[in-house]
Amino acid sequence: MALPQRKTDIGPPHYKDFLPPVIQKNYGNWKYHEIINPGVMVHVSNSGDKIWSVRVASPRLLSTDTIRDMSAIAEKYCGGYIRFTTRNNVEFLVSDEKNLEPLQKELKDKKYMVGGIGNMISNIVHTQGWIHCHSAASDASGIVKVLMDEFADYFTTKTLPNKVRMAVACCVNMCGAVHCSDIAVVAIHRKVPTIDHDKVKNMCEVPSTIGACPTGAISPEPSKKSVKINADKCMYCGNCFTVCPPIEIHDPEYDGVAIVVGGKVGNLRSNPKFSKLAIPFIKNNPPRWPEVTAAVRKILDAYVADAKKHERVGEWIERIGWEKFFKVTGLPFTFQHIDDFVIARETFRTAATFKW
Amino acid sequence: MEKEEVKKKIYELVEKSTGKKKLKSSDIQKTISAEAGISRDEVKDALRDLIDEGKLIYTYFGGSFVEIPPK
Amino acid sequence: MPKKYETPLLDELEKGPFPSFVTEIKKAAARSDMAADELGQLEKSYRDKRGYWKHGGIVGVRGYGSGVIGRYSSLPDEFPNVANFHTVRINSISGFFYTSKFLNEMCDIWDKYGSGLTNLHGSTGDLVLLGTNTENLEPIFAEFSSRGWDLGGSGSALRTPSCCVGPARCEWANIDTLDITYSITQEWQDEMHRPAFPYKFKFKTAGCAVDCIASIARADCSIIGTWKGNIAVDQAEVANYAKKGMNIQEEIVNMCPSKCMSYDGKELKINDADCIRCMHCIAKMTKALKPTGEKGATILIGSKAPFVIGATLSWVIVPFIKMEPPYDEFKDLIRKMWEFWDEYGKNRERIGELIIRKGMREFLEFIGVEPQPQQIKEPRRDPFFFWTEADLQK
Repeated sequence: MALPQRKTDIGPPHYKDFLPPVIQKNYGNWKYHEIINPGVMVHVSNSGDKIWSVRVASPRLLSTDTIRDMSAIAEKYCGGYIRFTTRNNVEFLVSDEKNLEPLQKELKDKKYMVGGIGNMISNIVHTQGWIHCHSAASDASGIVKVLMDEFADYFTTKTLPNKVRMAVACCVNMCGAVHCSDIAVVAIHRKVPTIDHDKVKNMCEVPSTIGACPTGAISPEPSKKSVKINADKCMYCGNCFTVCPPIEIHDPEYDGVAIVVGGKVGNLRSNPKFSKLAIPFIKNNPPRWPEVTAAVRKILDAYVADAKKHERVGEWIERIGWEKFFKVTGLPFTFQHIDDFVIARETFRTAATFKW
Repeated sequence: MEKEEVKKKIYELVEKSTGKKKLKSSDIQKTISAEAGISRDEVKDALRDLIDEGKLIYTYFGGSFVEIPPK
Repeated sequence: MPKKYETPLLDELEKGPFPSFVTEIKKAAARSDMAADELGQLEKSYRDKRGYWKHGGIVGVRGYGSGVIGRYSSLPDEFPNVANFHTVRINSISGFFYTSKFLNEMCDIWDKYGSGLTNLHGSTGDLVLLGTNTENLEPIFAEFSSRGWDLGGSGSALRTPSCCVGPARCEWANIDTLDITYSITQEWQDEMHRPAFPYKFKFKTAGCAVDCIASIARADCSIIGTWKGNIAVDQAEVANYAKKGMNIQEEIVNMCPSKCMSYDGKELKINDADCIRCMHCIAKMTKALKPTGEKGATILIGSKAPFVIGATLSWVIVPFIKMEPPYDEFKDLIRKMWEFWDEYGKNRERIGELIIRKGMREFLEFIGVEPQPQQIKEPRRDPFFFWTEADLQK
């Protein structure tokens, strides 16, 4: 069968063709919104028009079967209009209030997890992991699944002092907002990579391989038309592997994850912040990484117990101090916690004020 | 300069570089426009033709490059 | 019938309340050989605690150098149906709005030519079609583009711009995030499809400083909506929030970072000259508080994940710019930035890294932006600064 005529450089379709009529009518004219329950919010326009959004969790990786099912639900209750959030949740856009209850009932009957709006744990932003990534030091979807199972009630019913934004990255490339999340898991390597010199010779460009190293640990090995790695300088980031695949960084025995905390992207109350190291290493323990869920539980429980209303994790930690954070969580403080990368001295304590 | 001539120059540059240094699109644009005294846009246009015809292709090795397709 | 793999480890991830990605893969694996081998290889990864994918190489659709990411199994003999298993990025809709009609069409094409697995969405915001063989790429592109859909960005190119829900469904949007995203995407199609940058370049547009799209952490160019006028206060609505149990002194006034608010139990006062527009009070009292006056955006540059010099947040370049169609002033500014990057950037060097390497002065002079205190947290503390001949003559 002949293929249709391809076109290039057309870009995406215009968004206006995908907006429900009530949004087209009230575009830019919204007055306020209210969260009715963790799964439903209503936006009210200056014209008095309303649109309800019903949010459900998604594993982000969706089969066409599930997308078709969501489409059918959207057709039944939403005139076919549906959107995805920046955290990969699904929102059914309801223009007619009488569809709200039957939609929620059908979603619950079909075991969709409704919630995530407000001061909750919304969906976990994450990366491809072992499903599809070349540089993964752990899986991402699996860790997301076990964490969201563990904290499911914070998606559906229980509220927190403020939103807790979680992320999982399967390597330090961090395709996802791990470096600015309340609590995030990032997979790491811990061993100097090995080099297949014969393949480097044919597959890699020496200058770009050297340039890929953040610590200047890679230098030419002219006799082999390859490169060598200074083990004292290497901190196992794997960037060389991305540029030059014959530099093998994976090591199932020593790869695992670190946990970082206290980041945020919003400007509310305090400036956007980076996440900082809380736990330097937990071994990979698939399929359900129980040590990871236990560690995140420990941090989250301490935050819930001690944070003031509206404080994000990072704001709570800054108020109590990092020394107190390690005390209340019981997490051990190690050499790995003290920075020795490029901005290290900015993180040293240059005052005599701290808590015991 | 005729477009066909620019295309020839681009192809020769990529051919000469093969196995030594991978060239980015911007490397080609800078080199040829300087050598031939023509605008970057003219080089870009000729390069686009070569890619559309399949004489050259884009590759990715931690960055995007322009190369001769494997035989 | 696709091959059926035993997956005792992955089966454990079908338990529990959160929707399971394993269940999703199994649904597709029931009819797709590719999805079946994906499942089989993933089980092996769970058993061996390592991934089995290779990347890079030669892959794409004719004429484009972007939009398809080459992925190859490192175990092609064991899992032949994913020996090559490439990602196709489809440029998503501004604000991630869809219709069931489009989604169903997308599913039809993808079931015919691919694994039946997707990501809605990828980290950059593309509609990701997860896994197909090389020979399907041209048919997929023909099917999508003939229906008005194009590929997204990858490699050393403009990546698919993305934005928050903006004025489509949010009262806080100071700028039309959806239109800006659509406009820059259409303006720079060539930059997206034919990689000619030193490395990737991402735009993310947020309607306000709440930054639901994480632009400040994840975009080379972060466009964040803001305003110049006062915050209008509806005192009756303030009273309603108090009546419903909000402790306005504790939750609003005391948490204001610039200490520009006061509340005497009746009236909420704002000293707008001291307001830094963080959005806390507005977000908590959305019925009572509303920005007024001139609207526009702050343009920040440079955020990225840790490679190579450590993670960066975007920093202010232009404190305020009007953002109205056709956005010519903004687009000209970006073209100058790209010129600077093209001139001096090294392979795999992001624009933010280049600015740090060359210094803010060179960058600002090149793009024609004056030095302003809004660009920094504090002035330099070292005495090591440069003087040009021109400076000396001043």
